[in-house]
Amino acid sequence: MIDQRIFENLQTKIDEETTVRDELHEIVQTLARRGRSTQAILSRAHSTPADQLKPVLDDVTKEILAQKQEVARLKAVADQHPFYKYNGLWTRELQNLVASIELCAWLGGLQEHKGPSSTSFMTIEDVGKFLDIPVNLKEQDAFHLTIEEYLLALIAMVEELARLAVNSVTLGDYTRPMQIGNFVKEVFAGFQLLNLKNDILRKRSDGIKYSVKKVEDVVYDLSLRNLVPKGGSSA
Amino acid sequence: MGTKRDWEGQPLELNPQDTIMAEAETETQPAPSILSIFENFRDELDEHHDRRERIIKKSRDITALSKKIIFALQRVRATNQPLPPKIAQENQTRFDQIHALFEAVVPEQLGINGWRYQRQISGGIQEFIEAVSFDHYLRTQTLITHAECSARVPSGILVSEEDYLMGLYDLTGEMMRFAVLSLSSGNATATKVIENTASEGEKSTVASQGGIVVDLRAMRAGFEALSLPKRHYMFRDMEKKMDVMQNSVEKVERAAYGIVVRGSERPSGWTPDLSSAVEVPSY
Repeated sequence: MIDQRIFENLQTKIDEETTVRDELHEIVQTLARRGRSTQAILSRAHSTPADQLKPVLDDVTKEILAQKQEVARLKAVADQHPFYKYNGLWTRELQNLVASIELCAWLGGLQEHKGPSSTSFMTIEDVGKFLDIPVNLKEQDAFHLTIEEYLLALIAMVEELARLAVNSVTLGDYTRPMQIGNFVKEVFAGFQLLNLKNDILRKRSDGIKYSVKKVEDVVYDLSLRNLVPKGGSSA
Repeated sequence: MGTKRDWEGQPLELNPQDTIMAEAETETQPAPSILSIFENFRDELDEHHDRRERIIKKSRDITALSKKIIFALQRVRATNQPLPPKIAQENQTRFDQIHALFEAVVPEQLGINGWRYQRQISGGIQEFIEAVSFDHYLRTQTLITHAECSARVPSGILVSEEDYLMGLYDLTGEMMRFAVLSLSSGNATATKVIENTASEGEKSTVASQGGIVVDLRAMRAGFEALSLPKRHYMFRDMEKKMDVMQNSVEKVERAAYGIVVRGSERPSGWTPDLSSAVEVPSY
């Protein structure tokens, strides 16, 4: 005979699980909405000359700080549950946020949050410190930024920079494509070090070479016409 | 899939100092170069992939052993009594092997890693639950509970409700096969048993395929009563399993019907009419 309590217990578990997911989902939705507004402001960088970028970056910083608060809210709830059980709910939005942070920092914003020894980008530790969340936890089961999420965010940033290289030229800025070229190639070399499996990271990182090519084409066009400014390192 | 990337041929002459931004920064600090940062990432990711693959292998082994247990159990002809000693003994060896495999997975899934690699071990666990629940059903003609399933694996192994439920879905397929095989093996009392158990409720005493029909119906009702919110993509494979389960129940119902209607005319060696091919899903 079949004990129907088995199914009743399952239903209870499912309902509990749904409550948790609903709660997390609501926060992630807010994070996503704020994220879209961050990206909308950040995309103004494509049509703003470098010397007038400051107000744009200030606006972006404001939005990013608002998102940071949502992350804190998310962390408070997520910390009560197994991290990897629900990680999929927010990973996308967290990646988008980190990509925005990285791009903003590369463009010269968030300077005070870059580590003292940082190069042009924020390391995973810098991002963690800025967002006030741990990174790459391996033992403790708590909310954190994973290496995969950070790397995926870097890829998104590289794609955005490739687009910026083209738009910089349109704005008459011939220096920035050189900087972008150097940075993108460095990141590309970094990704080449990874032994990637057939997963999302592999798929997305395969796209970097197209970004690199896009930027190199711009650099080539500029150098062919002797438009590369003096002092800008050649590609 | 090119998992081994030879980076030594790559032009690595780039130094972190090459970037304009780095020049703008204070140059006195030794910047952690992108390459050294990525080397660190590589080690971390390698460790992750290796562990992931070790767990997948164990999971496959557990699946294979569980399938063998199920095959052996399909040779049993009676429910609600001890298994034939030979089959019981064979399966005990396999259960012990599975236990050892689970033990080996425990250190891989400590703490935060329990849920991280849950999907890798989940296939093995579901198949194991199918085997354990089938074994349990044949012995006692009751459903094993989630707690009882958890007790059958080492404490470090996580048996999620989802795995448990999916295992039960698969169990209906095995019960269907068992019921059809029993009916076709020519159990003369099958008809009576069906009538008895169907009308008098749960008085099943002997090998009762009729009891199985009742139980399958009860399980189907239980499954169908579960309500899952669509928006969260919980229990991804459930719709497919629901279809297969409903099919299984109907097959057994049709077989029981065949026995009742044509039982008296049944020549020896007759098998129940299953108008559609008996497909036994294996997950």
